[in-house]
Order: sequence, then C-alpha cells, then structure tokens
Amino acid sequence: MPVDSRRLQGPETTFSYHLYVNKQPQTHSQWVKQVLKSNGKRSDGRKLDDIRKIFLKTSVMSQAKGSAYIEVGNTKVICSAFDPREIPNNNKFSLNGELFCEFKFANFSQKKRRGFIRDAEEKDLSVCLKRALEPAVCRHEFPNFQVDVYALVLEDDGSALAAAITCASLALADASIPMYDLVTALTLGVHGDHKFLDPTSEEERLCCHEPPGQNKNHGLIVLAYATELQQVTQLKQIGVMDSEFLIEASNSLSSHCSQTHKLSQQCLAQVVLKTTKEKKRLLELGETFKKMDVGSQKD
Amino acid sequence: MELLSEQGLRLDGRRPEELRKIRCKLGVFEQPDGSAYLEQGNTKVLAAVYGPHQVRGGRVKANADSAIVNCQYSMATFSTGERKRRPRGDRKSQEMTSHLKQALTAAIKTEIYPRSQIDIFLEVLQADGGNYCCCINAATLALIDAGIPINEYVVGCTASLANASVPMLDISHLEETTGGPSLTIVAMPLSKKIVVAEMLERFHVDQLEKILNLALKGCQQIHAVLDAAVRNHMTEIGSASAWGQTFGT
Amino acid sequence: MASLMLGEGEKMLILHGVEDDMRNDGRTRRKYRPMELETNVVSHANGSARLRLANTDILVGIKTEIDCPFPETPNLGKIEFFVDCSANATPAFEGRGGEDLAMEISNSLACAYNSFPLDQLCITKGEQCWKLYADILILECGGNLYDAVSIAVKAALSSTEVPKVVGTVLDGGTVDLVLSDDPFDCQKLDVRRAPLLVTLCKIGDFCVVDPTAEEEMCSVASMVVSVLENGTVSSSFKCGAGSLHSETVKEALKIGKEVGQSLNQELEEILLEEQNLGPKRELFGFLK
Repeated sequence: MPVDSRRLQGPETTFSYHLYVNKQPQTHSQWVKQVLKSNGKRSDGRKLDDIRKIFLKTSVMSQAKGSAYIEVGNTKVICSAFDPREIPNNNKFSLNGELFCEFKFANFSQKKRRGFIRDAEEKDLSVCLKRALEPAVCRHEFPNFQVDVYALVLEDDGSALAAAITCASLALADASIPMYDLVTALTLGVHGDHKFLDPTSEEERLCCHEPPGQNKNHGLIVLAYATELQQVTQLKQIGVMDSEFLIEASNSLSSHCSQTHKLSQQCLAQVVLKTTKEKKRLLELGETFKKMDVGSQKD
Repeated sequence: MELLSEQGLRLDGRRPEELRKIRCKLGVFEQPDGSAYLEQGNTKVLAAVYGPHQVRGGRVKANADSAIVNCQYSMATFSTGERKRRPRGDRKSQEMTSHLKQALTAAIKTEIYPRSQIDIFLEVLQADGGNYCCCINAATLALIDAGIPINEYVVGCTASLANASVPMLDISHLEETTGGPSLTIVAMPLSKKIVVAEMLERFHVDQLEKILNLALKGCQQIHAVLDAAVRNHMTEIGSASAWGQTFGT
Repeated sequence: MASLMLGEGEKMLILHGVEDDMRNDGRTRRKYRPMELETNVVSHANGSARLRLANTDILVGIKTEIDCPFPETPNLGKIEFFVDCSANATPAFEGRGGEDLAMEISNSLACAYNSFPLDQLCITKGEQCWKLYADILILECGGNLYDAVSIAVKAALSSTEVPKVVGTVLDGGTVDLVLSDDPFDCQKLDVRRAPLLVTLCKIGDFCVVDPTAEEEMCSVASMVVSVLENGTVSSSFKCGAGSLHSETVKEALKIGKEVGQSLNQELEEILLEEQNLGPKRELFGFLK
C-alpha cells in the first residue's frame, strides 16, 4: 500500500482496543443470538425482511452541479456529481462518454480507522459503483467527455455500497445528466438459514463468517436494479452459497429495490416542484417590481 | 567461498571458459510481431517486438530520419530468490532499459523507417546472473523473428576473474554476488565491434585484455548457437509453407 | 485487447453465429478453447504454473513468506494476489498502462478466494503464519482473462510446496522457527476449496462461455461466477458497461455453475495425471 508522506501517521504496530474488550461472544450460537433474537426480530427490532428507514435529500452541496445525501439507518453517504468535462490525458475519440467514479470511506466511518489513500477495497468498490451507474446514463449524449461522481461514506453501519449506488444515481439526476432510469440498490446478508435484508455492520460481520456444519450458505449479495428498465445493472456476491439460492435471492432483491425506487422518484419530484414554485415566485416578484418602477416613472 | 576448486571446476561444475547451456525458441507468441524465449542456464527471458508502427504518445516527437527504438525491461516478481515488490519502474530497471536501448539502436537499421517506433519488451522470468546479456540475445532473436532488418546479430556475454588470475566466462548469480569483478560485453561478433561495455568491481588493468578476449570469444560461441537456432526455425517454418512456392499450372 | 477494431459486418457475423450455436471457430456456446497447462515451470518459486488458453498466456508464481497473522484472525494465514500485465501482451500495457485491469483482476481473485481455508497456513496461533504471494504475469491477452488466471492460480497452488516447520525456538521472548533442512520435505496445500472463475459473456440473447477477444468486443455485459468443486458459488459479479435482465442473470448463474463444476473436475484429473508422471518428467516451459 502506498505510504502517505504528507501526513503524520501513527506508530505502525498499533492494534484497535476492540480486540481486548471482553464483550466478544464465546460461541457461535451466542453470537447469532446476539444479532438475531429468539422471536425472529433483529437487534434493532426489525423483521428479517424489513429494510431500514431511508432519508434522501438532494442539492446538499453548493459547489457541485448535483449532489445527494442518503441515510439508511445509521449509514450515511454523501455523493456529488459534476458537469461533463474533457477527459484528461486522452486524445482518442470515443462515441460514448465516460463515467469516473470514486468511492471513499471517511477515516472515521468504521470501527477500524481507514487511511487517507484509497486502498484496494475502495478501488474495487469504485469500479463496482461505476459499473452499476453506467447502464443508466445516456453516455452517447456527451461523447469524448467524462462525468465525475464522488461518493463519501460518512458512517458505515452496513450496506454502504448499496446506499452509495442509490445516492450517486440521485446525484447524477440532480446534476441534470441525461439518464434512462434511476438505479437503486440493496444488500442481502445470508447466514445459514437466516436471510437479513439490508443488514447492519454487525449482521454483515456475522454473514461473512462461516457457520458451523457442512455446506451452509453464508455471504453478502449487493444488487443494483433499474426499475423502469427492469434490468439488473450490478450484482456483487461474496461468500459461499448455492446457485439456486443466489438466483432466488436476486429475484427477491429486485422486487425490494422497486420500493426504494419509488422513494428516489418522490425525492426528485419534490425537488422539481420546489424549484418551479421558487421560479414562479421570483417571476411574480419581478413583475411587481416592474409595475412599481413604471408607476414611479409616471409620477 | 572458492569460485574455482582445486580441479579447476566452478561452483556449478563448469570449466572456466565454458558457457552455460543455451536453449531458445523463436515465435513463442502470436500477438507481437516477433517474439523469442531464451534460456541461459537458469536465467529465462522472454522478448516481444512490436513494430515498426506509428509513434505513440504525443510527448516524444517522431524522428524525421530514423525510427525510435523503445525498450522496456521488466522482472517478474517471482524471478529472484527473494520476492521483488515492483516488476518495473525502479532505478535498476530504468538503467537496464537505457542500456538495452543503446545496444539495440546500434543493431537495427533505423534509417529505413523514419517517423516510426519499434517497441521491444523484455520480461525476465527467472534471474540467475547475466540477465542483461540474456535480454540482449533474446531481443536479437525476437527482432529476427519480427523481420526487422538488423545490421548484425548483437550478442552479449559476461566474464569475470577468479583467484586474481583465471578468467571465467558467463557468470551465474552466485558468482556475481560473491564479490568477483564482472565485465559485460555486448558485441557484434562478425565485425568484431563492441556496442556496450560495462564493468563492476575492479581488477588490475593487465588482466583486462585477457578477460576482454575471453568475453569476445564467448560472444562468438553464443552467436554460433543463436545462428543455428534461427536457421533451424526458418527451415521449419519455410518448409511447412513449401518455401512460398505456389502450385498450379 | 483494446487495439482490436471490428467492423459492423464482423459483429453481425459473430452475433448470428452465437444465435445458431456455431461460433467463428466452430465451437458451441459452452465449449472452451484448447488449453495447455504445465506446473513447476519457475524453479525459484515455491509453486508455479503456466497456462495457455489458445491466445491467452498466463504465468503464475507462488512464493511463501513467514509473517504475523492479523490480530483479528490469529489462527489464519494470509494470501495476497498481485497481477502484472506485461507489455508483451500489448504496447498499451507499457509502464503503468495495465494497472487498472491488473487491479480489477486481483480484487476479483481476492473476493473469490474467501472460500479458501487459510487455517492450513497457520504455524503458531497469533504469532507466526505463512503468507502466500500469488504473482500472476499476463503475457498475452486473447480474451477470457478471468478464467485463465483462476485456472492457472489453482494449478500453481496445487503444485506449491510449503516448507515444513520442524521446531520452534523461544529466544528471549521472540519465536524463531526451525525449518526442515531437506528441500524436498514439504507439505502440499489443500486446494479443494479453491474456486475457478467462469466468464459468461452476453452476446445478443445468449450467454457464451470462454469468449475470444473479438466476441468480448461484441458484448456489453458479462457475468463472472466463481465456482467451487461442489457447485457452490463463492463470488460473482457483473463486468462490462451494460445491464442484464433478471432472466439473463438467472440463466448465466445456472450455466456458470454447470460449466464451473465440469471445469473443476477436468482440472483435477489433469493435475493428477501430471503428478503421476513423477518428479523426473521433462520440463518444457516455453520451449514447446
């Protein structure tokens, strides 16, 4: 990993104090019980197939052409999109424009501190984000140009990539980049026979761990779906599971994504409504000033 | 560590004027215009040649009267005993690259291709001493395979001195690192011209002629091996396509 | 790879060929191109393999080093993938040109190998473990890089010889390991849980296995599925700038599982055959 020479780094061999805290569950079943209570409800009171409450807002940054902020439970992501600009260091002609995505976790977003420079995981997630957004953007509208999208995760409490995809697609729409459809994404965590829809970071950690016993499914599936087009724009799965299970899971995720899609649409519609109302008000104000002006001139 | 035992044998059992076993193959890949694989003892090198083609990259201006020779020297991360972190881009690789460019520019008839670029890429798969010479030899073969006109074969060979008096030919990595001096010569064997001469460590100037002659003799021997391989390859390819003969009335 | 240019007519030919289940080189949609595999090609590395899948040429070297395990997982070893796109493949990979592609491939391998049991690499819990460096050198690109790389890596891992730790010496608080003196006294790795990546390229309405470089240019989206021996999927992702219908995803996963299982089986048989030739077999490397 490249060393950041411009910032003061802490001593190299330091460990997080979380390792020494005795709250670690001793056995696997105790851990599962911590995450999933016996009445089938999760630690935050949701049912297994309930998604967390979502808050969406656009135009949160004044400097960017388009921006959006999403809160899914405790996960907070802010995204900004910029106008198409010429691709730097490139003099080749291409019929389609490029999308340049950067995904970054803020240093304080997770339990373990992250570095300033993008590491391999963040580069991987950036590519994932780009692939999820590309099919929905009308790339032929800006040939030879590139649109920059930056996603910053302020707090990661599970499902950060899915939140970032939803947020980024909204930011692009806010930046008036021509698009075919809005993309929404969701995560599904699997551990043995339990399926956690929209998992928190504790649940994600459990799902990445292999359950005891032979051939049990475990892992995470992130699916990005464009509802109007009815197309899957990105599928990313990690963990070990049967292919039939994966197929079934992706089908159910697509239908849940359609619900989140309605939210995104509503958010955009509200913005358009607000802007037109504001414009109308300003126009009317301009009219009254003109009338006053004419009136004063008559005197 | 004794470089030369009492019977006059080196660490790997060779006599002082003996070359390591050379095995080579031309035309290893299909995508590059010319490619070659060369093994000299345990050192294994792959060479690929692309060109002549249009000059890439706006920064380097095309030369109006000759072609630009562009080289790249890269070592695989598993090629050395201890894993190498970066395959290319460090100082040593850049130095090797410029030496390779110097040697190969002398060999190629660059005046035939003005405003173009010839790319030569070397990849060291296993490094056991004499990397630079092995690369030069492999590059020569690749150039011949690509059909680029060259003035003459460029052949590289190393030589060293053992016990301050006995010259040794074609040194391996172990002999290099045990502190003996090493002289690298890249020469054109038929016209007896030296293209690149490089030396590490030191020895007395009286010994210079002895070691230089041995290195040049080594170049001639390698030239014979490479030439045989090229003729063999051409015979195989040529006879498979009936020497370009067309049949019919 | 990127230096290919296809005309509209060529693209239509490939599209129609795929529809009729007869591709340009006569294969059906599910067939792989002929492969050549050889292990123990590089003597400096603990394990190595060279795979030639028609035009694609991959060389993998595995090196082992002793390292400290991560504090969160004291009983697991480490494995790190490093992909180097050599300029031999295309001049565009000169210098740092191939870094993006290399990063993508190494990330996808790291994701896929989450199923690989790392506890076999642990020496002493919490203090010492083996770290495997899987170095992949891409020498020529003829399409279908993910598959070729994963097959070569699995073959190299199966031929890797990890030196045996004979004893440990406690020297004033630090632990020193005593390795066996005999260079042939090694342990092999258990690669039954090492996955193989299968790329399913969507051309027209059909999914095609093992696309050539020209076929890759005709498609906008592909699914890459990482399959284990028993048919379970350890990782999957979509690559390419297009989108897929859910039905296509379903079909791709199904085909991927079947193809992956048979590929795993074939590879195992071939490796066994090579092993049965014994340590005295002639090593060809690039000379053949």
